Amino acid sequence: MMNKRATLFLFLPVVCLLLSSSALAQLKVVTTLTDLQSITSLIGGDKVEVFAIATGYQNPHFVDPKPSYILKLSRADVFVTVGLDLEIGWVPPLLNSARNSRIQKGGDGYVDASVNIPLLQVPTSASRGQGDIHVFGNPHYWLDPQNGKIIAKNIFDALVRVDPDRRSFYEANLKKFNETIDAKTREWTEKLRPYAGTKVIAYHNEWPYFEQRFGLQIVDFLEPKPGIPPTPSQLLKVINEMKRDHIKIIIISPYFTTESADMVARNAGGKVVTIATSVGANEKIKTYYDLFEYNTSQLLEALR
Amino acid sequence: MIFYRTISVILVLHCVALAGAEAQQTDSSTVADSLLLLQLQRSMQQAAATPTIQQAPAAPRSTLSTNPDLSAIGDFRSSYVSVGKRKIDLYLNQLEFQVSSVVDPYARADFMFSYGKDLNTGELAPGLEIATLTSTSLPYQLQLALGKFKPAFGKINILHPHAFSFVDFPKLTENYFSPEGMFMEGASVSWLVPNPYDFFQELSLEIGRIESNASLVRGENGQLSYVGHLKNFFDLTQNSTLELGFSGANGPNQTGFSSTMGGVDLTYKWKPVQYNVLQSFTWQSELLFSNVRLGETTAAKTHGVYSLAEYQFAQRWFVGARYDYSQYPDDVGRRDVAGTVLFRFQPTEFQILALEYQYTDRNYDRNSQGVIFRIIFGIGTHAAHQY
Repeated sequence: MMNKRATLFLFLPVVCLLLSSSALAQLKVVTTLTDLQSITSLIGGDKVEVFAIATGYQNPHFVDPKPSYILKLSRADVFVTVGLDLEIGWVPPLLNSARNSRIQKGGDGYVDASVNIPLLQVPTSASRGQGDIHVFGNPHYWLDPQNGKIIAKNIFDALVRVDPDRRSFYEANLKKFNETIDAKTREWTEKLRPYAGTKVIAYHNEWPYFEQRFGLQIVDFLEPKPGIPPTPSQLLKVINEMKRDHIKIIIISPYFTTESADMVARNAGGKVVTIATSVGANEKIKTYYDLFEYNTSQLLEALR
Repeated sequence: MIFYRTISVILVLHCVALAGAEAQQTDSSTVADSLLLLQLQRSMQQAAATPTIQQAPAAPRSTLSTNPDLSAIGDFRSSYVSVGKRKIDLYLNQLEFQVSSVVDPYARADFMFSYGKDLNTGELAPGLEIATLTSTSLPYQLQLALGKFKPAFGKINILHPHAFSFVDFPKLTENYFSPEGMFMEGASVSWLVPNPYDFFQELSLEIGRIESNASLVRGENGQLSYVGHLKNFFDLTQNSTLELGFSGANGPNQTGFSSTMGGVDLTYKWKPVQYNVLQSFTWQSELLFSNVRLGETTAAKTHGVYSLAEYQFAQRWFVGARYDYSQYPDDVGRRDVAGTVLFRFQPTEFQILALEYQYTDRNYDRNSQGVIFRIIFGIGTHAAHQY
C-alpha cells in the first residue's frame, strides 16, 4: 500500500509537469473571422492552434452564436475580434457565457484588431434610418492588405502578453509577414494600376478599404441603404447610372445571391464579379495573401 | 435552515470567485506592467527608425463603450377573438426597457423593466422582469447569477415574449406558469460540464423564491423552489444543430404542499451558412409532466406538450405552425388543444410584424378562434439573444 502511495506521489509531479508543458506547447486562439485566423497562424506559426467562428463564405454581420463556440471560447488563451460593432449581434452573448476572464474585454487575451486602423466612413451623426451603419466607422478594414500589418501587430502584442517567452519567435514572423505583405501589395496594386479610377457598382458597402488601396471607384450600391435588400427603384437607378457612365462591373460577395445583380448586369450590359471578403470564401483562398491574389486576379480578368 | 445553508453556499461561491479573479488579476497585472514597460522602451527605440502608423482617434470608442446598453422595445397588438366581451381590440401589450453593462472585471448586470397589459384590468402596469448580477470570472467553468431572472426550465421559459417567434407562448407555459412564463428571485449556478465527447453540455441549478404562478407559489416560512436544467448541444453538420434538454422543478404550491415538474425539450435548427439571412428552418418541441400534491394522499398528475415548426423562405419572410396540448396543473379533467399558424415579416432586426391565427379546443368551455396582429419595434442597443 505504502509503495503504491509513494509511486503515486513520485509520479504525480511528472504528470503535472507533462500536462503543463503540453499546455504551454500551443496557445489556443479563437478568432471571429478566417482572415484574423490566417494572420494569427502566420504570426504564431506552430505555437498556436487557431479556430475561426465564421466561415469565409458567411456574412460576418449575421452569425449564429451557437453554444459549441462557447466551449471553444471557454478554453481560449486569446480571442481576436474585428471590433467596430461588426460582430455585435453574436460576440457579446458568446463572451458573456464563456466563463473565461482572460479573453473578456480588458483581459490579456482580448484583441480588438481594429486598434490603430485608420478608419474610413466614420459618421458624424448616426441614425438607424440610414440602414445598418457602423457608428465607429466602416468595419471591413481587413480588405486593405496594408491594414493587415496593423492587425498583425495587434495580434502579436496579445501573443507576447500571454506568452512572453516566445517573443522573438513571434517577432520574426511579424517581420516576415510585414515584408511579404509590402512586397505583395506592390504586385497587386501594379496589376490593377492600368484600371485606376474605373467606376464600379457594389452590392453592399463593404469595399471602401479595398477600393482605396486598389484605386477603384465604387459609385453606387444595389442595396438602397446598408443592410436593406435591393428595391426595384434602386435597381432601376443603378441600371440608368451604369448605362449613362458606361459602368461594366458589379462586385458582389459570396454570401449574397446574384439574382438582382445579374438582372442589373443584363439590362445595363455589364457583368457580375464575385470577389471574396474573407479567407476560405472558396477553396483557392487558403491564406490572407491568397485573398488579395484571388480578388485582384478576378477583377483584372473582368476589367480586361 | 435550508435557506441559511443556501445563502452560505452562495456567499462562499461568490467570495471564491472574487478571490480567484483577484489573484488572477494581480498576477497578470504584474506581468502586464513589466511587459508594458518593455514595450514602451522598444517602441521609443523603434520610433526613430520606423515611420509611425497613422492613428485613428480613439476617444469616441472609449467614451461610448463606458455607457450601459440602453434599449426600449414596444409590442403593439390588434386582435379578434370569437368569444368574450371585447372581440376586436387594439392595444399596446407591453413596453420593455433594458439596461445592461459590465459592472467591473468580475461581473455584468442586466435590468429589464416592463409596462405590461394587466389581464384583469386591461391597464398597463409596471413590473420588474429581470435584475441580475452575473459573474464573468468564476473558476472551474462556473457562472453565477444573483437577482431576479427567468429560470432555465425548458427552452421557452428563458425567453421574453419579443424574442419568441410566435405571438403567444405555448399553452403549457400559460397553463402551468403564466402567460409570460416563470420568474424567480434567487441564485442560478451553471456549469459547463467537461465530457469525453467534447460537446456542449451545461448544467444549471437555480434556487430561490418563485413569483407565484399556476404551479408554484412564493413560499412562506423559508420555503424555496428549485429548478434544474441540463442542456446538451450538438453540431450535426455545418448547417444544422440539435439541442436536447432535461428540466426539473420543485417548490411549494397553493395548497401548502409541493409541486414537482419534469420536462424534456428538443430543438432542431437548419440554416445554410453561406446564405444565412435567406433561409432557415426550426423545429422545436417540449414535453412537461407535473405532479401537484393537493393533500396528504391526493395528487394531480398532468402533462402538456407543444411542437412548432418555422420556415424562413426569403430574407424577411417566415411561416410557422404550432400544435399545443395542455392540461392544467391542479385539474386533470381540463385540457386545451390548439392549432396555430403564423406569418412573420421582418423588415429589419428592429421591427417585426406577425400575423397569427389560432383555433383552441377546450373541454371545459367554448372553443374559440383568434387572429392577432403584432408589431415589435425596438430602439437602442439591445443585447443579442442566446442561440
